[in-house]
Amino acid sequence: MDIMKQIEENIIAGKFKETEGLVKTALEQGKSPNEIITDALSKGIDEVGRRFKCDEYFLPEVMTCARAMSTALATLKPHFTTEKKTTIGTFLIGTVEGDLHDIGKNIVSMMMEASGFTVYDLGIDVKPEVFIREIREKSPDLVGISALLTMTMPAQRDTIKAIEAAGLRDKVKILVGGAPIDQRWADEIGADGYAEDAVECVEKSKVLLGLGR
Amino acid sequence: MKPRERFLKAIRREEADRVPQLVRPGKEVSQRLSGIFGVSGHELGIRIGNDAIVCQVGINAIMEMAKADLKEGETFTSEWGVVYQRQSGFDNPIEHPLKTREDLKTYVFPDPNAPRRLDEVREVMKKYHKRYGVIVDLSSSLFEPSMAHLRGMENFLMDCYDDPAWAGSLLDGLADYYSQLGTRAIEAGVDVVRIGDDIGVQTGMLIPQDLWRELVRPRMKRMIQTFKKANKEIVILYHSCGDFSPVIPDLIEIGVEFLSTMQPVGKMDLARIKKEFGDRVAFKGGLDTQQLLPNGSPQQVREGVKDIIKTLAPGGGYVFMPAHMLYQDVPTENIWAMLEAVKDYGRYPLKF
Repeated sequence: MDIMKQIEENIIAGKFKETEGLVKTALEQGKSPNEIITDALSKGIDEVGRRFKCDEYFLPEVMTCARAMSTALATLKPHFTTEKKTTIGTFLIGTVEGDLHDIGKNIVSMMMEASGFTVYDLGIDVKPEVFIREIREKSPDLVGISALLTMTMPAQRDTIKAIEAAGLRDKVKILVGGAPIDQRWADEIGADGYAEDAVECVEKSKVLLGLGR
Repeated sequence: MKPRERFLKAIRREEADRVPQLVRPGKEVSQRLSGIFGVSGHELGIRIGNDAIVCQVGINAIMEMAKADLKEGETFTSEWGVVYQRQSGFDNPIEHPLKTREDLKTYVFPDPNAPRRLDEVREVMKKYHKRYGVIVDLSSSLFEPSMAHLRGMENFLMDCYDDPAWAGSLLDGLADYYSQLGTRAIEAGVDVVRIGDDIGVQTGMLIPQDLWRELVRPRMKRMIQTFKKANKEIVILYHSCGDFSPVIPDLIEIGVEFLSTMQPVGKMDLARIKKEFGDRVAFKGGLDTQQLLPNGSPQQVREGVKDIIKTLAPGGGYVFMPAHMLYQDVPTENIWAMLEAVKDYGRYPLKF
């Protein structure tokens, strides 16, 4: 079987050791990191997203696949220096002030990274001024604001207001997520999008950046 | 009719004089209601009209019930070696004893037969059992404690794929522990053993049902067999948050007769589930705690209670409860509206 197809299938199967070996072989065969990402890794992770959406895959499978993907990307990293940057967009993410939950946010980070975004994870309990400072510093295309509790949902609104007041609102697209969040809330607080899970976050991000699907 | 009789009739899928109730306030709501009624703990549950009492003795008891005086950000370590931190009013596990899979070899489970472990159960039995139903709660039991407490979510979910045999041996350790602890509680005379194991999320199962069947089901079956051996009349209650509808038939097969929390999410179509399984299991829960109770008006809450009773209570087999504990986001007036509506709409014969 074609090496690219093999890599794709190992991503879909979530086999990170095998994927790593195959990526090395592909490099030895003269494939470029960009080719490997476009023709093998992205195809694999897109298929993982599709399976998750139609209930064929569940969260742990998505996580094992994202791990295979990050292992592959880490293997490719040293080879990027000679090539152009391959990121499809930059994504800044954090859990709002007063909320210390990070499992969902971490899974979103993993999937975004696996799907080709450069991710800056600000961690948990992130104050609006930290979001603002980091937006100024990193100039991300997208900002993800996470809140797990009904009690910390208002902090999403406060963070968006603060970004607005700092004059940065039109510089970034804002996505919100977290267990109690829905589209209605996202609309109410003026976010650009709401994602129910990590896979949807990738899709919505691509749409917001005009990258299609 | 005594509350216990009402409760037992309901879980045996018979109509009593009215729908029994078991409302569980979380830490902050307990304090709020204690301030109003001047009583706390089990007395508070009775004061708000509960027909049964829950004694939490599982690993979650430490997280949900203990350390009332802990301040935000403070931590403590449990006898399981898990470090918890007070975060937004909840004590969340932040450090897990099984950092590597290797650690299981030397990990020592707590002693299920430790002398004072069931003191509260025995006390409750002595003081309340004549009048009230008693549930011993072994939450969380197998999958959830592995994931949330002992190994960490990301680690354990991947362990299930990387090394299923290892995941199985951790689940075995928990099944052994809870089989003994549950048996002791049954010997003390409780009416119901509650196994709690979160496997559902908002949209469906957290893990594939085949994985659950392979890893969790046989261990849960073994626990239930042990309990039935100790008392063949014992009623097994199973709780999961979220949508666990794909494994309801499995749960019934392995001896579960009482299902909770019936969160109305994903494919948890409560009317369908009542119709399909209501002749074999009783239900508890169902009233939405994510939108309705925190954000609805008292009138909407009343309507919600009416709907849930209409859906789950016909023919018996229903104990009223919100779909989770009551947390600090629920306004007091909605709690009153809910309790009042249970009394107004829950009288048999139901009139709708």
